[in-house]
Amino acid sequence: METPLVEVKNLKKYFPKKKGLLGGNKSYVKAVDDVSFTIRKGETLGLVGESGCGKSTTGRMLMKLLDPTEGQILFEGQDITGLSDNQIRTIRKEFQMVFQDPYASLNPRMKVGEIIEEPLIVHGYPKEKRQERVLHLLEVVGLSAYHADRYPHEFSGGQRQRVGIARALAVNPKLIIADEPVSALDVSIQSQILNLLKDLQEEFELTYLFIAHDLSVVEHISDRVGVMYLGKIVELTDKETLYKEPLHPYTKALLSAVPIPNPRLKRERILLKGDIPSPSNPPSGCTFHTRCPFATEECSKKVPKLKEIAKGHFVSCHLY
Amino acid sequence: MAEKLLEIKNLQTHFKSDRGVVKAVDDVTITVNKGETVGVVGESGCGKSVTSLSVMRLLKDTPGKIVGGTIEFEGKDLAHLSEKEMRLIRGNDIAMIFQEPMTSLNPVYKIGRQIEEAVMLHLKYDKKQAREHAIKMLKLVGIPRAEEIVDEFPYQLSGGMRQRVMIAMAMACNPKLLIADEPTTALDVTIQAQILDLMRNLSKERGTSIMMITHDLGVVAEMCDRVVVMYAGKVVEEADVFTIFENPKHPYTEGLLNSVPKLGQKIKRLESIPGNVPTPGNMPQGCKFAPRCGKVMDICTKQDPELKMIDKDHTCRCWLYQESGVLEV
Repeated sequence: METPLVEVKNLKKYFPKKKGLLGGNKSYVKAVDDVSFTIRKGETLGLVGESGCGKSTTGRMLMKLLDPTEGQILFEGQDITGLSDNQIRTIRKEFQMVFQDPYASLNPRMKVGEIIEEPLIVHGYPKEKRQERVLHLLEVVGLSAYHADRYPHEFSGGQRQRVGIARALAVNPKLIIADEPVSALDVSIQSQILNLLKDLQEEFELTYLFIAHDLSVVEHISDRVGVMYLGKIVELTDKETLYKEPLHPYTKALLSAVPIPNPRLKRERILLKGDIPSPSNPPSGCTFHTRCPFATEECSKKVPKLKEIAKGHFVSCHLY
Repeated sequence: MAEKLLEIKNLQTHFKSDRGVVKAVDDVTITVNKGETVGVVGESGCGKSVTSLSVMRLLKDTPGKIVGGTIEFEGKDLAHLSEKEMRLIRGNDIAMIFQEPMTSLNPVYKIGRQIEEAVMLHLKYDKKQAREHAIKMLKLVGIPRAEEIVDEFPYQLSGGMRQRVMIAMAMACNPKLLIADEPTTALDVTIQAQILDLMRNLSKERGTSIMMITHDLGVVAEMCDRVVVMYAGKVVEEADVFTIFENPKHPYTEGLLNSVPKLGQKIKRLESIPGNVPTPGNMPQGCKFAPRCGKVMDICTKQDPELKMIDKDHTCRCWLYQESGVLEV
C-alpha cells in the first residue's frame, strides 16, 4: 500500500492550567486527546466539530506550530515530531497553512506582493525569478498583477483570503492545512473561495486538511470527514457514508442540527441536552455520555476506542 | 387578512462621514404581521442591522440618522417619536436580541438584576415581584437551577446560556415584536438548534411576531413565514418562504441560494456570484447588483429599478420584471 502523505498516531496535546497556590495540583486542559488519522495523497480530509473540540489544535500541531504532548506525526513516512526548529524549517515548505481570519493573518504594513514573496525568500527561491512567480501566483488565485503593489486594507475579505491562499501556494507545498478558511466570509464569496480551492487542488495535485465547523461546507469539499468531540475523533469515514449512515450518536445529532435551506423539509430533529462540557474537566468514560440519548452505565465508566466497523468507517462508541 | 403590526415604509437611514453620506439603508419597505416570523437576509453591509437599529431607534450615539420614510407600529410612527415616548415602547412592546450575548449583557450586574430592570420599569413590579418574574422567565427559556443562576454573573455562563438569558430578558415584558439580529451566529450548531427551537415555541405560545435578521439561509428556511432579501441598502425581493426558495425571481436571490452548499447534495461545483459586495463609497450607478449580475441589460447600469409587485405577495426590484421604456433621459 502506498504510504499516506500524513499519518497521525495517538496525538495528544495537554495544555497545563495555572498551578495551584502552592504549585501542587497540576491540571491540564486536554485539547487533543489521543487522535489518530491518515491523509492520503491528493485527498481532502475534513475535520469538523464544535468550538473547543480540538480541531484547530490538531491542525496547528501538524504545522508544528505547537509541539504535541505525546504521539507521532509522520510526513511521507518520516517522523517530524522530534525534529529541531532548523530541520522543521526546511521541511515546512511541504505543508502550508491558510488561516481563518484574512484580516489578522496578513501583515498590514506589507504590500501584497511582499507578503506572497516572503515564503519564497525564506525557502531560498532564486531572486531573479521571484517577481515573476508572485505575479503568476496572483493570477492563479484570481487576482491581477497590479494588486501586488497594494496593501491588505485595500482588499475585501474574499480577496484577502485569495492572497492568503497565494502565499500558501508560493513554495509549491504538498499539503495545505486550511483552518476555517471560509467562515469569516459572506455566502456569495464563500462559494468563490471553495471553488478556487477545488480548482487549485486539481491543478497542483494538492492534499488538504480542511478544518471547519460548518458541516455543509465540509461535506461539500471533503473526500473523508472526521468528526471531533472534546479532543477525540468520534467518527471518521468517507463523506457519503457519513451523511447516509452516520453511526455515532453525536454525528447524528450534529447532522440533524444543521439548518437546511429547504422550507418544505420537515425533519426529526435530535436535540441534544445541555452544553459542551469544558475540556479542562471532561466527563469520565465516553466524553459524550452526558449529552447522549443512548448512554448506558458502561459509557460513564469505560472510554470507547476508535474501531473500524466497516471498511474505512471508524467509530468510537460502545454501541458498536 | 392578516393584521399588520409593523410597517416600515421607504425607510432611509444615512450616515454622515468625512467622505460624504453613506446610504446604509436606502428605501426599505418591510411589513411584519401579527404572529408572523419575517426573515431579513443579506450579506454584510446590506443594511439589515441598520434597519433593525432604526426600528429600535438605537442610532442616537452614531452618525446615523433616519432621513426618510415611516416606521409604523400600532398606529404610531416610530421614526418621529420623541426619545421619551420611544422609551415606553423599547423593551416593552418591541424587544431585541443581539448577536453577541457576551457584549450585550452587562458584565458587572447579576443576571437577575438585568432582567428585573425592564420589568420594574415597564410592568411596574416591585423588587420582590420582579425577582420572581425573572426566575420564572429563566425557567421558561430552559435554564436549569434558575434560582441560583439569577444571582450569577454573565461570565459564569456559556454562550448558549447567555443567549437564553438574552431571550428571557427580551421576552420578560411580553413584547409584541421581537427583533433578533443574528441570534445564533455566534453559537455552535447543536446549541443553535436548541435556541431556534426555543424561539419557535415561545413565539407560537405567546403570539409574538419575530423579525429575524440573518445571513444563514438554512435558519430562514426553518424559522420564517416570509422572507425579505436585501442588497446594498435596498430590498430586492420579498415573498413567502416557499416562493423565495422555490421560485426566486431576482438574480441575486437566485445566486445566493445556489452558492450555499447543502448537506447530502452531490454537486462538484458551487455556483457563485462573481465580484464583491459594493462598498458604500463606491456604489455603482443604476441597479446596485448590475456589476455582478449574469442577466444584466443596458438599462440596469443607468437607472435603478423600483420594487414592483410581480405576483400576489411577491415583490422584486429588477428590470427583468418591469416594463421597459421607462428610461427617463
